[in-house]
Amino acid sequence: MDRTDLDLLSELENGLPLVNEPFKEVGKRLNLSGKEVLERINNLRAEGIIRKFQARINQRQVGISANALVAWKQPGPPGCDIGSLLASFPCITHCYERLPVPGRWEYSVYTVHHGYSRDAVLAEIGDIANRVGVLDYVVLFSTEEFKRVPNVRIRENGCTML
Amino acid sequence: MKGHSCPDPVDLHILDALQDDIPLVPRPFTAIAERLGIPERDFLERLKRLHELGIVRGISPTIESRHMGLTAATLVAIHVPDERVREIADIINSYPGVSHNFRRDHYYTIWFTLSGKNREDIQHVLAEILQRTGVPDKDVMDLPTVRKLKVDVRFSFFNKTDQEDVSGPD
Repeated sequence: MDRTDLDLLSELENGLPLVNEPFKEVGKRLNLSGKEVLERINNLRAEGIIRKFQARINQRQVGISANALVAWKQPGPPGCDIGSLLASFPCITHCYERLPVPGRWEYSVYTVHHGYSRDAVLAEIGDIANRVGVLDYVVLFSTEEFKRVPNVRIRENGCTML
Repeated sequence: MKGHSCPDPVDLHILDALQDDIPLVPRPFTAIAERLGIPERDFLERLKRLHELGIVRGISPTIESRHMGLTAATLVAIHVPDERVREIADIINSYPGVSHNFRRDHYYTIWFTLSGKNREDIQHVLAEILQRTGVPDKDVMDLPTVRKLKVDVRFSFFNKTDQEDVSGPD
């Protein structure tokens, strides 16, 4: 990754221009050809620096207004890995393992669920809980979004490499 | 196009297709439009409208955080009185390491994610947030990430009526 790659990623953070030849358009702003832009993106993708390249959708605007974070208690014995099992459900968009707070908060696996109603999301979670065999969990519906941006923003917090 | 409610079923098909990686070809929208059987001009008009309405926030690459030196992350939950939620959320939002910040229906009112170069970096920022907001340690839970098992944001736009049909692993 070189300085030009960083400039390119930074430019792409604004979103692809919604025109017929968006990569050519991005290239114009960086003095690169469309072909060169695509080559660089392909390389960044191959190196794993770009993980995905897709639309960010505001699901609330299409009626998917019930969004829940669920904290699950990992049952003993430790050999039982509910995290990997939960991650395999297609309807779960995020799955993380986190340290618990002993004595206060024993939950260590977190999943994210989305739906058109709280009832639908609760039904989905209840069904998954039964199938995974974990009945100690907490459902945390979001009621207000204060901030939701990509983890890495080149200009704001991304560049510690060059 | 004019007058239809947005998003209509065609829009939902477009949104669904945009959840896949964008084709890395000179005319990616032509490729998607062809796949969906929509004229390219119509596709772009609809896409622009979805963008103007804020339904499509943008089409951009997701950058793997560890390649950018952000190797540590945590989820923080804090209990704050209702009347201070907004003010405290604003302070939390002002930190670039914070990417997600939500109010949730729970005793722990505010939940935010914080990433940084390392654990010390995160603890330093968190200590500063707590100091500025005056939230006592007993009202805070710091839940460091141990394993990222899955991040695959993909919404189902077509199962409004049969959400109980959860497809799981076989």
